[in-house]
Amino acid sequence: MLRFDGVTLPDNAADLRREVRAFLENYDGKLPRPNSDFGSGYDPEFSARLGERGWIGMTWPEAYGGGGRSFFERYVVTEELLAAGAPVVAHWIADRQSGPLLLRYGTEAQRREYLPRITQGRCFFSIGMSEPNSGSDLASVRTTANAVEGGWLLNGTKLWTSGAHLNHYMVALVRTEPRGENRHAGLSQFIVDLKGPGIEVRPIRNMAGDEDFNEVVFTDALVPPENLVGEAGNGWEQVTSELGYERSGPERYLSAFRVYVEFVRACGGSPGSSQAAAIGRIAGHLMTLRRMSMSVAGMLESGASPNVEAALVKELGNNFEKLMPELARLALPPEAHSAGFREAYADTLLHSPSFTLRGGTREILRGVIARGLGLR
Amino acid sequence: MTDSLIVDSAAKIFADTCNKNVLDTAERGEFPEALWEAVCENGFHLLALPDSGAGLGDLFAVVRAAGRQALPVPLAEALLANRWLGHEGDGLVSVGLAGNGGAWSEVPWGRIATRVLGVTAANELFVACPESVVRGANMAGEARDTVTVGQVEPVEVGEPVYATLALSRVAASAGALERVLEMGLRYAGEREQFGRPIARFQAVQHNLAMAAAEVAAAVRASDAAVEAIGGKRFELEVAAAKSRVGEAAGVVVEAIHQVHGAIGFTYEHELHHYTRRLWAWREEFGGEVYWQTRLGERIAALGADAVWDFVATPR
Repeated sequence: MLRFDGVTLPDNAADLRREVRAFLENYDGKLPRPNSDFGSGYDPEFSARLGERGWIGMTWPEAYGGGGRSFFERYVVTEELLAAGAPVVAHWIADRQSGPLLLRYGTEAQRREYLPRITQGRCFFSIGMSEPNSGSDLASVRTTANAVEGGWLLNGTKLWTSGAHLNHYMVALVRTEPRGENRHAGLSQFIVDLKGPGIEVRPIRNMAGDEDFNEVVFTDALVPPENLVGEAGNGWEQVTSELGYERSGPERYLSAFRVYVEFVRACGGSPGSSQAAAIGRIAGHLMTLRRMSMSVAGMLESGASPNVEAALVKELGNNFEKLMPELARLALPPEAHSAGFREAYADTLLHSPSFTLRGGTREILRGVIARGLGLR
Repeated sequence: MTDSLIVDSAAKIFADTCNKNVLDTAERGEFPEALWEAVCENGFHLLALPDSGAGLGDLFAVVRAAGRQALPVPLAEALLANRWLGHEGDGLVSVGLAGNGGAWSEVPWGRIATRVLGVTAANELFVACPESVVRGANMAGEARDTVTVGQVEPVEVGEPVYATLALSRVAASAGALERVLEMGLRYAGEREQFGRPIARFQAVQHNLAMAAAEVAAAVRASDAAVEAIGGKRFELEVAAAKSRVGEAAGVVVEAIHQVHGAIGFTYEHELHHYTRRLWAWREEFGGEVYWQTRLGERIAALGADAVWDFVATPR
């Protein structure tokens, strides 16, 4: 049976929380944004300021510019940023995923090259996984890297690559050997400079009207040999090791949080009973999800690889992110929609179809959970 | 912190002494004497007395273990009555809802109780001796009697008694939810259709994955409320847990019955003893909407800009 033990935040959490709140209050950019979604709000200046405070790469060793701090401390900072609607997306993937990947599998030279810049909030990464015909079936990727003199030649197309039009690098999962019996073999990861030759990035407008994700086409794009991450052929193991980080954080249940805040504001201090019940029902979900998500942070802190638990938290969190705006909408008659509620609600609803797609679809997550339960 | 030795031995004794036959007999209205004796012989009914060394955490862990077996005895009521009145002899003290006119409702096994505690949602607690009893049952067939009482004495315990009783249903539900999930997982692995175990079908896997996620949420919510005992936020944490666990119960019961097919719909199968309890316990000591409303009113009074702090700093 899957276990989610209670965790208590370390003693310094309260101080850290206060520091983050004070920082946000004094930030001169516009806060909060209408939504608390980690996937929108690109602000390199904000990321650089966070880097100055030591709030990127917090858990990494100091030798690479990190803070040597616990996953719990990182948790406090990230949840405070999201709840406040801070613009975190520029550094988000590098901090959450690409940096930890390089720490675990990267060469010493790679760590020294990228990690300090990431922690300064000056080096941003995209995830290069999906392709035109490879979405959930990630092992079917067809982008190839062939060894040539001077490195590897990449050919193929990555799709739905968030931030590729703005970020500096992508960690691309590609085939370095033809697909054989074992479809998980022969995959490798490379750090690709998105501004390099042979790479074309085309933004794709989403239904909310934003340009966030992209098509990235490689045409004989030369990647130097030192940009191979880990071992050639070990890409599948490496890419799945990222999932505990990718799936369990506060961003998996806080995307719609600003809707809740504006809902409570619109209900006022003495809400009707059905409104109060909706506020309470949402709170019960939120309090429980936060504790489950922190429990996974505790597993990460102890060195475990909680991929199944992370999938489970993401499944529940994504369901909640979709349920909550609906509960709020139904409890608030249209004439009671304040301008603040309307803005947060519309912005969140328009992004909500992506909640159960990005970072592993609902169907994939349920498959991961089912495997963890011994059903497959 | 709970004493895992106490909880483990309770779980073992409950599993050894409670079976389908005991559940059926209890549902016909006969108090399961042998089972209750086994509970008392091992001293579980005395857990969490002020001088026992065990705390309320242990008490709720044992209640959860009882929920795992659908134990058809008023263990939580007896344990809490001991805590609030002190233990006094072998008679059963049950706990129901104090009502006007001397009629107290929803009293588990009021028919054999020597004394009865009556509680109100305003945390008033009274004690009385039953004078007459009208038998009743909840939808799980658990004895829930209406007791006419004579002389009523107030009891001062200085604890949020109503939320504590609500938490007993939350903890028992957490145990029952774990049990029905295990039943669903086992059955899916055993039952074959189209030449393979139904666990191999993606539709079944997804149903069970979703149920497992809901069970995990319910268990965490229940544990969080237990961890909040004695704190300023206790009643609000119980409110969150009663709401979350009630919602999980509906989803999980539906999914696990679907996995079991027609056999799980028979009286002969043991599944319904758990699923009917899960349904019934949602309503006892405040339904979800009651607790949601209390929690929501508190949050609304704090104001929109304090919502995040309420969620993030529970202590």
